[in-house]
Amino acid sequence: MPQSLEKLSTAWAIFQGLLLEAIPFLLLGVAIAGLARWLVPQTAWVQRLPKNPLIAPVTGALMGFALPACECGNVPVARRLLASGAPMGTAFGFLFAAPVLNPIVLASTWAAFPDQPWLLIARPLGAFVIAVLLSLLLVQLPDTQLLETALLSERRMSQPLSRIGLLERSGGLIGDAIGKIAPAEPTRPRATDVLDQSSREFLDLLALLVLGCLIAALVQTWLPRSWLLAVGGAPTGSILALMLLAVVVSVCSSVDAFLALGFAAQVTPGALLAFLLLGPVVDLKLAGLFTVLMRPRAIAITAMAASLGVLLIGQWVNLWLL
Amino acid sequence: MIRGALLITWGWIVLWSVISGRLDLLLRGVFHGLVGISGAALLLAGVVLLIRQRGRYERLPWAWWSSAAIALLVLLVPPNPSFSDLAESRPQGLPEPPELAFVLPPEQRTLTEWVRLLRSQQDPDLVDGNPVNISGFVWTQQSGPPLIARLTVRCCLADATPAGLPVHWPEGFIPNTNQWLSIQGEMVVTTRDEQRVAVVMPKAITPISRPKRPLEP
Repeated sequence: MPQSLEKLSTAWAIFQGLLLEAIPFLLLGVAIAGLARWLVPQTAWVQRLPKNPLIAPVTGALMGFALPACECGNVPVARRLLASGAPMGTAFGFLFAAPVLNPIVLASTWAAFPDQPWLLIARPLGAFVIAVLLSLLLVQLPDTQLLETALLSERRMSQPLSRIGLLERSGGLIGDAIGKIAPAEPTRPRATDVLDQSSREFLDLLALLVLGCLIAALVQTWLPRSWLLAVGGAPTGSILALMLLAVVVSVCSSVDAFLALGFAAQVTPGALLAFLLLGPVVDLKLAGLFTVLMRPRAIAITAMAASLGVLLIGQWVNLWLL
Repeated sequence: MIRGALLITWGWIVLWSVISGRLDLLLRGVFHGLVGISGAALLLAGVVLLIRQRGRYERLPWAWWSSAAIALLVLLVPPNPSFSDLAESRPQGLPEPPELAFVLPPEQRTLTEWVRLLRSQQDPDLVDGNPVNISGFVWTQQSGPPLIARLTVRCCLADATPAGLPVHWPEGFIPNTNQWLSIQGEMVVTTRDEQRVAVVMPKAITPISRPKRPLEP
């Protein structure tokens, strides 16, 4: 078989591996989002989440412990939070922190690095800091520049103002102010309606996941990993190389610690931590999924800010440990 | 109605990947159950949707059609990776050796266990003369003679990491890249690049078909 065909065949196999491994987690995320929609009628509890700019991302990050899934599963849940009117900071804090701050990922990190206790503290702590910083940064953008158009419309529908007609709003241009209007009682959607909506959500996200896995498989096949690890010993070079590797490989956060274990001895501690921090927030597989949440500019800001934050954390760890 | 059919298609592909054994080539065994459950769940959801939307037509986004086309390709074109190619583009790096590698008699050690053992101890003379009974694929490197190797995975093929052993290939025997071989022989110590290394000295080399589960944890 010609070498280019052989490589294509290998890329096809990697694509299938990535896709089949990610589908269960995506389905789990969509199922949890659907279940939450059914069990808790919309806006009943998300409206009660703290709106304070500092406390909101912290709350969102801590909510990650409720969802034992990787980054693919978090996207539908974060989308549901945003669509239901949750504070932006909470939803983004959850989106960026949950892939690491969850029981499965912490257990797998511990299983992979039982002899490196600093990593067991540094990974969740670093993920928490990155998530809070990203959330604080993104909420500075106007909603129209931050959220994807369909999501923004959905979110506006769940805002309290939408419950009151234009003519009924006090201080409006037409008519007199009227008395206080009792808020509408939230109604539980039918299970079949939830299935209907969740199936749309799943197929939308699956199409993007397919695209992300295709790109990741092609890049991984034609970019030898040994090139990236060739600079393993250099403090800054190793961090940058492992960050690039995390973006390219696109492995789920629930198992990336085992992958990192494979080259832990060849790279600096800061690079190892950078790999474990960046992958759950930015990778090729996620790039497509994020388009259901954010506009391209916001995605670019997320990628750049996360990379910068992770690079600084990695540098600091290298200074401290080397 | 078509949405239900799409979910059934994906559910069937995912479930069929488990049933047909295709996953053995793509994913680590611990994930197979999870994949199977998700396939069954997708099938069930698809059937419910299909019944509920019977006779109703809906306009589907092009992205769904594209993913459906990819789904059919996944079904029709089975994965056939070049193990040697995968191994060549990745550095070798295995986790710390499990105690099992030291406890097992030499002839019962797998290729991966041999690699772990040899990496964990500096003195190759300790295994000199040990019987070897291993199987793996031929990994043709850009420089140096071909190795007998296995791929280990923690998650899926995307993170496959090679583990290879040097072999003293018999005169006139040219191993074909990616060919699976079973080798019986013994470990001998030789000097390569001014370093003493343990090398497999084959007594019998038998071509075998790719094992049902070619990836090792």
